[in-house]
Amino acid sequence: MAQQNVVKKESEMAQEGFEPRILGFFCHWCCYAAADSAGVSRYQYPPNVRVIRVMCTGRIDARFILEAFRCGADGVFTGG
Amino acid sequence: MAKSGAIMVLGGGVAGVQTALDLSELGYYVYLVEKKASIGGVMAQLDKTFPTNDCSL
Amino acid sequence: MCTMYCPRPVVDTYNERLDITRAPHIDYAQAIPSSYYIDAKACLRVNYETCNLCAQTCTAGAIDFSQQPKELELKVGAVVLTPGFGRVDDEVLERFGYGRFPDVLTAFEFERLTCASGPTEGHIVRPSDNQVPKKIAFLQCIGSRDETCGNGYCSSVCCMYAVKEASVAKEHEPDLDISIFFMDVRTMGKGFDEARKRAQEKYGINVIRARVPRVDQVDGKLALTWTTGDGEHHSDLFDMVVLSVGLESPEDAETIARVTDIELNHYNFCRTSVDSPLLSSRGGVLVAGAFQGPKDIPESVTQASGAAAIASELLADARNSQTVTVTYPDEDKALEEEEPRIGVFVCHCGVNIAGVVDVKAVRDYAGTLPGVVLYEDTLYSCSQDALKSIAEKIKENRLNRVVISACSPRTHEPLFQETLRSIGLNPALVEMANIRDQCAWVHAQEPDKATEKAKDLVRMAVAKARLLTPLDQPTVDVTPSALVIGGGAAGMSAALSIADQGYKVVLVERSKELGGNLKRLKWTLDGQDASKVLKDMIKKVKAHKNIQVFTGSQVESVSGYVGNFTSALSRQGKTEMINHGVIVLATGGREYKPKGYAYGDSTRIVTQLELEEKLARGRGFLRNARNVVMIQCVGSRGDDMQHCSRLCCIQAVKNALKLKELKPELNIYIFYRDMRTYGFYEDLYREARKQGVKFIRYTLDRKPEVIKQSRGIKVRAFDELIGEDLEIPASLVVLSAGIAPGENEELSKIIKAPLTSEGFFLEAHAKLRPVEVAVDGVYLCGLAHGPKSLEESVAQAKAAAAKATIPLAKGKVAVAPIVSKVDQDKCIGCGICESLCPFNAIVLEKVGKRKKAKTITASCKGCGVCASHCPTIAISMGGFTDEAIMAQIHAFSPEGCEEA
Repeated sequence: MAQQNVVKKESEMAQEGFEPRILGFFCHWCCYAAADSAGVSRYQYPPNVRVIRVMCTGRIDARFILEAFRCGADGVFTGG
Repeated sequence: MAKSGAIMVLGGGVAGVQTALDLSELGYYVYLVEKKASIGGVMAQLDKTFPTNDCSL
Repeated sequence: MCTMYCPRPVVDTYNERLDITRAPHIDYAQAIPSSYYIDAKACLRVNYETCNLCAQTCTAGAIDFSQQPKELELKVGAVVLTPGFGRVDDEVLERFGYGRFPDVLTAFEFERLTCASGPTEGHIVRPSDNQVPKKIAFLQCIGSRDETCGNGYCSSVCCMYAVKEASVAKEHEPDLDISIFFMDVRTMGKGFDEARKRAQEKYGINVIRARVPRVDQVDGKLALTWTTGDGEHHSDLFDMVVLSVGLESPEDAETIARVTDIELNHYNFCRTSVDSPLLSSRGGVLVAGAFQGPKDIPESVTQASGAAAIASELLADARNSQTVTVTYPDEDKALEEEEPRIGVFVCHCGVNIAGVVDVKAVRDYAGTLPGVVLYEDTLYSCSQDALKSIAEKIKENRLNRVVISACSPRTHEPLFQETLRSIGLNPALVEMANIRDQCAWVHAQEPDKATEKAKDLVRMAVAKARLLTPLDQPTVDVTPSALVIGGGAAGMSAALSIADQGYKVVLVERSKELGGNLKRLKWTLDGQDASKVLKDMIKKVKAHKNIQVFTGSQVESVSGYVGNFTSALSRQGKTEMINHGVIVLATGGREYKPKGYAYGDSTRIVTQLELEEKLARGRGFLRNARNVVMIQCVGSRGDDMQHCSRLCCIQAVKNALKLKELKPELNIYIFYRDMRTYGFYEDLYREARKQGVKFIRYTLDRKPEVIKQSRGIKVRAFDELIGEDLEIPASLVVLSAGIAPGENEELSKIIKAPLTSEGFFLEAHAKLRPVEVAVDGVYLCGLAHGPKSLEESVAQAKAAAAKATIPLAKGKVAVAPIVSKVDQDKCIGCGICESLCPFNAIVLEKVGKRKKAKTITASCKGCGVCASHCPTIAISMGGFTDEAIMAQIHAFSPEGCEEA
């Protein structure tokens, strides 16, 4: 259901305590809903992802992903 | 005598809530009566539903 | 706050008494209404006029002890009874150790144990020692199928919930050893048998067919003894026993019956009949759900919609006479076009957000962002008071963009959109930052990082808000008529209901006459003359001024969308076009044609329906008959088709009783796998056994054989109890051939309504939208949906009629504004978007000499596939424009990220 593309910069990986900044594109109907229900169930996960809601992962243009990396994302998560 | 366009639904479980929703969409005023403090009935107490194990809330 | 300060503990009934709460409380976090209430039985102030702590601590001043009960008199046109079901007496449960041994739980209690928000946070532990159990036994039919407690009926849901609870338990604790003790495995719902089989294999759940008479405790463990079908006795020890408790009639059934003046049946449920399952004995009083008889969620939801349809038929003249219409002020277009003036409201959500995230820091941070002119924090943004105050502040500060930093837009965006509309702003001008569900709740241990994340989310939301534009709220007019496809019992019932609700119906039947499978039925399951039920129905349909019948006709093509369909009907080579707003699929199914069992080799080997046809012609063929053998699950449950055909068990028992009535000295044998006479039909099964009908269980690997000999027929089968083969010379063999889907493939393609792997039409949601299909404006009922009885078909047809009438009654369909829009100046007419759109919502049209793409707004679901693939960026998505998403991406970086 979800694919994760985490691009890790080797130099940073070497540093202790590297915290990746991940940008997520979540589908309104499934992944975003799942992220909400993870909250309702109080599942805990690391606070590294920032989410942009889209109505469908079909909305995601390749340019969005490239732009995310250009703006400093260490990883892009598309969930749909 | 003119008919009333209002309907009373007695019981706010899943059946009552569904009846009330449909009736309001069909153009009627609904009084939904429930004994307890919240609607949802027994379904709200269920963790998951068969067979897909979806959350029931 | 009130719950925190109340000194009075009470047992938490929502958590099945497994937890403790206080007198003022809320049953669960998502309860509706979402306000706390006081348990008046426990409250010190109510009972002893002391305390009052809660009223003093409530910051909202919402506790008022001067309230008195009020009596209201309401004038209503109809009443729908949906009181649900009651609980089986503890006395019955005590026989199985409940209340005496702590580790005997009811399934309702076990359900709360497996729930992540339950008293143990989803940990399955034994109440006696808080240890995880190793071996669990589920005992079925507790308080069901048990005349000793007065409940002779089957509760119809316990087999499913036991399998579910066992599966969930195995997911929590994979090493658990779980056994379920069934009398019969009754998973007869649509897709249920397959799901049960999968769960059994996936989780390794032991299925034991035996009734456990009692539970004993031995050395802290629970001891069970039972006898299996081969006569062997067994015993074993378990750590926990779960009682699969049945559904009782509601505890106030008699009061309800007295007050509403309706009749109850012998089990204290509402009395109804097979041809009108939702009518009580009193006109205008309708019933739906478990009070009509034990049933599961999809059946209850279906009946609920069906009851709504009947009320709507009765009161069609008074439609819209008492509804309240909300009006909105005109939009302030000038303000909307001004430079963005953004207001940010950061919600505490009580302690839900503020307990983790530093709300005030987030609020102050919002103030530093460009375009923000107002930044505030609110205790509960969604409360009525807060909404009013937000509306006032928007007006005072002439805000034209709003960011609500709170919970999920999935649940709360409509509420804030409504607030904007109420003060003359376009609802598309609000954006939400989800700092609760996707921040505070999931990072509870890391408040600093959660606060950082909340700031980032607010920054991204503000960036998007700057680029929000007002969106039209388009509506389309609806053609006020329905097309019903299929003229069987379901199709006719649906057509009659829609027509009685005041709308035109075109009823299309492929064969030469109306009636479908009902034509072949001799008796209904409650013993009525089926042909009379059919005749009455046909007469009403033909006489109805709103119904036009097309027999010998087929649907050739369907185009359009909800509210505006155009279909081509062909009759005797001629094609007629009709316009209609909605479609009801009632194409039916057919009796499965048996393979094997020497079917077709003799006129004395027949199906159940053929038997009824024979009986309709007279009883002559029974003159020399001695032994009748019925074989269940012919074609069903993995024999050829995968599904259970649901009604053959009841049909066989019904016909066996009829044969006994005609010729009491007949020997009748029924070979079955599980007798699935659910609900009140268990009475028929018990009666058949009482009258000496012999029921013999078989398994799929040892199916009975029908052998046609030169003189007569012989049935050979293995009898588990005596451990030997039986040979029965049969005067008549009746095969309970299941229900196969009709020829739905072509229609499925025409309408784009998906089918199940079995070939039945697939509903939009198995539980909550059982009569809708994935295509808007198309509804489903009868055997086209799956095997079911006449009673269930009629209820479902009414439900489909209710759903189908909704758009007709509204006269307009609203279209979500999040749709694609093509800039035809930029479009090069390549057609990529048209080929990709999953909803046929983009077409190429001729504009001048070239082709250009155009969105059919009513069909568009706003997924945006077209926009992301357009090579010239000519397509923009309402609310999710390229610019807005790009702005969010740029704002992802705390330092900001300039456009490249």
